[in-house]
Amino acid sequence: MYLAKKDLEKALQTLSQKAVVFAPILETIEDKVSDAKTVEKKFMPYFDGAEVALEGFNTVKPPKDVLFPNVEKMYKYKTGAGAYIMELLPEDSQKIIFGIRPCDMRSIDSMDKVFLTKDYVDSYYAKRRENVTIVAFGCLEPSRTCFCDSMGLDPNQAPTADLMMNVAADSEFTICNDCGTKVLTDDGKYILTPQTEKGKALLEQLKELLSDGGESYQDTKCSLHIVKAENLDEKLSKMFEHPIWEKVTKGCIGCGTCTFVCPTCYCFDIDNENHGAEGCKYRCWDSCMFSDYTRMAGGANPRPTKKERLRNRYLHKLEFFNERYGETLCVGCGRCIESCPAHLDISDFIEKASLVEIDASDYSEANYSEGRM
Amino acid sequence: MGNLTKEQIQDRIREEAKKALATGEVSCVVGWTKTRFPDKTKPFFAYTDAECDLLVWNEYCINSTAKYALDDRYPEQKIGLITRGCDSRALNRMLKDNQLKRENLYIIGVVCDGKENPVCDGCQHKNPLTYDVLIGEPVEETINEKRFTEVEAFEKLSADEKYEYWAKQYDKCIHCYACRNACPACNCVECYADQYRVGWQGKAADREQNQVYGLTRVFHVGDRCIECGECERVCPMHLPIMRQTKKMLKDINDLFGNYECGLPDDSKPVLGEYKLEDPDEFM
Repeated sequence: MYLAKKDLEKALQTLSQKAVVFAPILETIEDKVSDAKTVEKKFMPYFDGAEVALEGFNTVKPPKDVLFPNVEKMYKYKTGAGAYIMELLPEDSQKIIFGIRPCDMRSIDSMDKVFLTKDYVDSYYAKRRENVTIVAFGCLEPSRTCFCDSMGLDPNQAPTADLMMNVAADSEFTICNDCGTKVLTDDGKYILTPQTEKGKALLEQLKELLSDGGESYQDTKCSLHIVKAENLDEKLSKMFEHPIWEKVTKGCIGCGTCTFVCPTCYCFDIDNENHGAEGCKYRCWDSCMFSDYTRMAGGANPRPTKKERLRNRYLHKLEFFNERYGETLCVGCGRCIESCPAHLDISDFIEKASLVEIDASDYSEANYSEGRM
Repeated sequence: MGNLTKEQIQDRIREEAKKALATGEVSCVVGWTKTRFPDKTKPFFAYTDAECDLLVWNEYCINSTAKYALDDRYPEQKIGLITRGCDSRALNRMLKDNQLKRENLYIIGVVCDGKENPVCDGCQHKNPLTYDVLIGEPVEETINEKRFTEVEAFEKLSADEKYEYWAKQYDKCIHCYACRNACPACNCVECYADQYRVGWQGKAADREQNQVYGLTRVFHVGDRCIECGECERVCPMHLPIMRQTKKMLKDINDLFGNYECGLPDDSKPVLGEYKLEDPDEFM
């Protein structure tokens, strides 16, 4: 089945009748005092006239907040006269994430494991997850920091999405004037392949806009191909005290950028907001890069410097998650590489950790920095 | 441009870094090295001669090196720093704020030729102001006539227009504190925002808490901003953060006369001292 590109807007309007459709949309903030308007591509609810940008590079922030909001009120309460506690579960509305990339889809699989398995179901996440249908879009042009295929993914396929969307194999492309990336020409087609019952139901809603036939484009390759040792997780489990940590963490400035743009970082903190006798309990994203993340009552901190914090972040992505769930938590989306203020690069770390000797007594960048690309 | 080519400066940086390490007084030299992307370098810590040979100097050496001096406030040996004009002002900032001791630093100054960073267009200090050794001949400095042009234009907008602009910007903020961590004026041993059990600063990244943070930051940095632009460069959501600190500096300039931070003199932060002739119309 295929959808003509010119019908994309109609398709989004149709889907919006029954659900809130989160799509990659260009949002512009005008600046009245200079020509420098800021344009951000982000997942936001579709509205008539929205500038949807399915193609081009991925969004700066992943769409994980549709399922795991940055700030989520959990329950409210009142003390004293008329005291009560009221749970605030997410409302029962249907949502569609439209145009998620394979890396971000794999991230949702990982979050599903965290919030829904191992004998504990997070009711807030579960409620949202149940009501979300996911339409994935195969990448056309990876950004320069993309390395998902080195992490075992395929940028053309998201097997766990409800509906897979790729451009047609015989597509022609042009270069987008605004963003400088490859986009489908206006007479292009999107091939839609349902992968679950939810996906079939979406196709049913769109059937008047669809035609039979068409083969999907499957030739996208990542820009970065990195060296990654097989069983890197096992190797890292023996490298907790390795001299590499001291060196690769030196440049870190200790901000939370990498964790907040990461599609698989799922840590949260719980806090309250009180106004007199009333208040609410909320949870919000937290970052293991912050000092208060591990600070205990009395001030002791088992991860006192950036070395321990960044080590924890890398090991969580590449070792601890494997030990608990059998898969790597880094999906190779490259967002942290693009956004890091200190230009740290997790793919670079993966290569170095793959190449170093486990029991090396010293580590020098000088031995690992030449000739890699 | 000074008298040396980029390659010559790079060679001199490596040579001076090796010399510094050879004295035995300097533990490492902080500079930049290449990454896998030709238009990005990263901060780099050279401990050996072989590592000194990885130091680079090109138009992409944009990260400030100065703030890394705070990583160890009580070092056993000196910390070597490759220092451009802006880095030297950042060091002066932290020295004046009593966060660093000059005797713990070995400063290799480099006359800067401007980097691929918009803030460099308005640079008034290409020559390092503080150094132990200088690479390159000092160049003539230019005064940035447009230092406050953008702020002046922004001041003319209505309060509602200004609020709408900043509210939208702070909706984008992800509360990562990159602007704080990159800022040489943000050098408190413990930031008020990290004392979050006290309740100064909420942890939720929503408009309200983001704006509280933004306002607190700009007033705290206020008269100590050296205009290096690191806050704006590091912001992953591209907030025009410098417009706020520039507004503070413009008001300070209007009230107290020509004022610039990070100079190697013994002047006090203008909001931190009192003079009889200070304007007091608000009294």
